[in-house]
Amino acid sequence: MAKRVSGVVGIWYDDFELVEAARKVREAGYKKFDAITPFPVHGLEEAIGIQRSKIPWVTLIMGTTGLLSGLALTYWTSAVDWPINVGGKPFFSGPAFVPVMFELTILFAALSSVIALFAFCGLPKVDPPIIDPDLTSHKFAIFIPSTEENYDTGRAEQLLRQVGAKEVRHISEY
Amino acid sequence: MAQLHAVTAHPKPGKYSASMRTRTIYAASMAVGLIGLLAAFYVDKSRAWHSYLTSFFMFTSLALGGIFFAAIQHISKAGWSVTVRRLAEAMTSFLPMAAVGAVVLLFGAKNLYIWLDPEIVSQDAILRGKTGYLNMPFFVIRTIVFFAGWLLFTRLIVGHSLKQDEDGDESHTVKNVGLSVGFLLFLALSYSFFSVDFLMSLAPHWYSTIWGVYCFAGLAQSSFAFLCILSVAMMKRGLVRGLVTEEHLHDLGKFLLGFTVFYAYIGFSQFLLIWYANLPEETIFYLSRSTGGWMEATFALLVFKFIVPFVLLLPKAAKRTPAHLVLVSTLIIVMQYFDVHWMVYPNLVGGNVEKYGGQWIFGWPEISAILLFGGLFLWSVTNFLSRHSLVPVKDPRIEEAIHHHVTY
Repeated sequence: MAKRVSGVVGIWYDDFELVEAARKVREAGYKKFDAITPFPVHGLEEAIGIQRSKIPWVTLIMGTTGLLSGLALTYWTSAVDWPINVGGKPFFSGPAFVPVMFELTILFAALSSVIALFAFCGLPKVDPPIIDPDLTSHKFAIFIPSTEENYDTGRAEQLLRQVGAKEVRHISEY
Repeated sequence: MAQLHAVTAHPKPGKYSASMRTRTIYAASMAVGLIGLLAAFYVDKSRAWHSYLTSFFMFTSLALGGIFFAAIQHISKAGWSVTVRRLAEAMTSFLPMAAVGAVVLLFGAKNLYIWLDPEIVSQDAILRGKTGYLNMPFFVIRTIVFFAGWLLFTRLIVGHSLKQDEDGDESHTVKNVGLSVGFLLFLALSYSFFSVDFLMSLAPHWYSTIWGVYCFAGLAQSSFAFLCILSVAMMKRGLVRGLVTEEHLHDLGKFLLGFTVFYAYIGFSQFLLIWYANLPEETIFYLSRSTGGWMEATFALLVFKFIVPFVLLLPKAAKRTPAHLVLVSTLIIVMQYFDVHWMVYPNLVGGNVEKYGGQWIFGWPEISAILLFGGLFLWSVTNFLSRHSLVPVKDPRIEEAIHHHVTY
């Protein structure tokens, strides 16, 4: 589970203003801050500067692994360990193996994507701290953690006010 | 995005007009193609008709792909695709010519379909049993029904879209939903029968119940490829700045990738069952495509119509880089021709063994037909785009398309 950190949070009532504010916070040099919104907000990833997810790589590598596992499984069971003549076809019959290879590709890729998603997002989060209950309905927040380089609570609070936060608060753990 | 709320006026699409050079090229292509094809009729009638059928089928499918795309956007009330929908509608402008092409084909049908030869049918119990379906009058009636239906639906759906450019009436959008439902139902049935009638009946003993879906997979794959090329062409000219962006290319690319997988899935489904059951009356189809250069052709389909485009379209950047997308799309369209050729030609070379020896053939009669139909197709598409706005500017969902944004 992700370690809890303290920091400063600013709250907005409008998602468009949040995107603008996030851009300014990034321009001010902050790198590790995050936004909390009740629904996906377009353009927010770019404004915060979030890098692309690594999940596609997990999917690609595990999908390829699944494909090769399917090939290995079908080859070993039907041509090496227990060869059985089926309809006079060769023991190693490519077309007959394709469905197994296909299914294992999907299985490996899909399951590992879900697992990777949980791992990258630090899920499941048991009893997460509540900054503001309204963040799940109509409020939007930017959270600047104390782990930022050259972090200073006063300066962070001032910046959030400057870029238009309606409420600014210090959070001891998030 | 800074302009998210700030936009009050839409960007306006530029006016496309085909340059004199473009028109000349298409006209020359048609003329050369027509002369070549007429010469081919004189030299080798049977081969000429096969080349005609191949190109006719491929470009008719592309035109139907345009209206298929427009219809799924209407039926799903999609917002993102509004700015590329007109380009798909432009592809349908070839349909009236395809109808004329079908009429011409009916006159040459005797050179293609052995079930039209009463002598052969009378000596063949299987063909005698199929005469209830495979006979000239019913064939003509079906062809008329297919094209009448397609033309009617296209006229209505595209007509509403064009009308909206003038009056901005939202009721056109509403009416197109119901029309699209009807059209897609009609297309699913008619295109299945169309592909069975025009391609599968070339070998009237053989049948595959997945044939219509296989042809449809090619239709969808190739028409998305053409739509990508058309979008990039308009972007390159700067005519749709702020309207069609790489966000739209990304989604078109996803469709292209999806239908590339769909094509392989269907193609393999057809092959696997026949290969596994190993019944002579079914395996004949693949046997006639496994010797005399046809084995290489069959594997070329697997490699260049599925594996290569699949890998090349997989990364996100691949779908957002216009030059790369055009390259893959071009490959897919070339392979679509190759696929139809692969379906049609074994009938010709297998039926005239002493002449062709069952060999894979491709030469000037085929190129002539491609030039003729390709020229006609591109000419009608560019003509449509010169006459109408490149984007349905008064569509109620255009705002959504302008701000379309693919998240990662």
